[in-house]
Amino acid sequence: MDITVVTPQGELYNESVEYVVISSKMNGEFAILKGHVPIISAIDVGYVKMVREDKSLYTVVINGVVEHKNDKISVIAQEAHVGMSKVSAMDHLNTVREERLEENRKRNVDFAKAERELKKNIKQAKAGK
Amino acid sequence: MASMRDIKSRINATKKTSQITKAMHMVSASKLKKAERSIKSYRPLMYQLNMMLDTLLNSDRELSHPMLVNRETEVTCYILVSSDRGLAGPYNANVFKKFQADIEERHESNDEFIVAPIGHKALSFAKRYGYKTLFDETVHVRDDIQFIDFKATTERFMRDYLRGTIDKIVVYYNEFVNTLTQVVRDRQLLPIDQEAIVVPSEEEHNEQILFTYEPYPQAIVDQLMPMFVENMLYGYILDAKASEHAARMTAMKSATDNAKDLIKSLQLHYNRARQAAITIELTDIIGGANAVN
Repeated sequence: MDITVVTPQGELYNESVEYVVISSKMNGEFAILKGHVPIISAIDVGYVKMVREDKSLYTVVINGVVEHKNDKISVIAQEAHVGMSKVSAMDHLNTVREERLEENRKRNVDFAKAERELKKNIKQAKAGK
Repeated sequence: MASMRDIKSRINATKKTSQITKAMHMVSASKLKKAERSIKSYRPLMYQLNMMLDTLLNSDRELSHPMLVNRETEVTCYILVSSDRGLAGPYNANVFKKFQADIEERHESNDEFIVAPIGHKALSFAKRYGYKTLFDETVHVRDDIQFIDFKATTERFMRDYLRGTIDKIVVYYNEFVNTLTQVVRDRQLLPIDQEAIVVPSEEEHNEQILFTYEPYPQAIVDQLMPMFVENMLYGYILDAKASEHAARMTAMKSATDNAKDLIKSLQLHYNRARQAAITIELTDIIGGANAVN
């Protein structure tokens, strides 16, 4: 069966797998095997474990929905990251998130500084008078 | 007639300006390409989300969510999506113009609505006209926007809506049609208009599958609704961003063209001045030579 993971940034993962295990804080853990009845489930914070030939990959998901029908699984996630283990993937997701937010904060401060300086310079140069 | 040196310095200044505008044009062109790519990669998610919500809401009419319910509107919140920086032609002014025309029509006093500015220009616009704003700090829209940049802002909108401090949210943004045209649109974000949940193709809609829900349908709706709103707003902002780059691109293109025209006419004046100077010199020499003879 096939699995696709989509995020607002685009398609993250599109492969065929043997089975998946879905785990979330809200509902606990369950697996979807081939031929499962159509199911929709939500993930608040959790992961989707994708297994093929004894190898497994973890997609950590923050706010997402999983849909399974006709052996096609689609995971819609606000934020997601694929990794070798759930801990490393989660860590990566969190660091990326924090870095981005930190960068945004820094940019905002820089922008405000530039804005203030511009105002000061306009005043000094008496432009627009 | 202006002196040759004056004209020369004006030509140089205009040349420098045209170099800058040309560079900005090219930067915007490449950023526009990036913005278009991110719109493209955002689409599959919205498609899936729409389809899922449609099946879910059609499966059980009993399902509801506060975000789907129309309630009496006391305070409307208008989200104005603008840019952080200027020099984008009529990009920001168009949004503000439409917004002002609409509030004049719909509201009698300024207490009936509140403005949520996104982008620095919208904030200074709201301050200039003395509109009440939802927040005082600028929500920046960077050129390479990502989903998490707006997460906190969107959560704030939803919280205020669910608390009842605002009863309706309308977004004003520039819709990207193509590089030359951007149209200002107003879209209702909350309460969610069920018509807005569009299922793209008919066939997929018709196939009726009975889904099992884990844990139960209402929980899925509770999870999906905020996701839907967050993604709708993100989509509008992506569109606005592409429009901004397109608007800046065309503005800079015409600025470059105007500079070129100006340089051409200035060059003509310069040549004329130079010729006049030569003629004067020649008549001087000839006059001098005649006097000697």
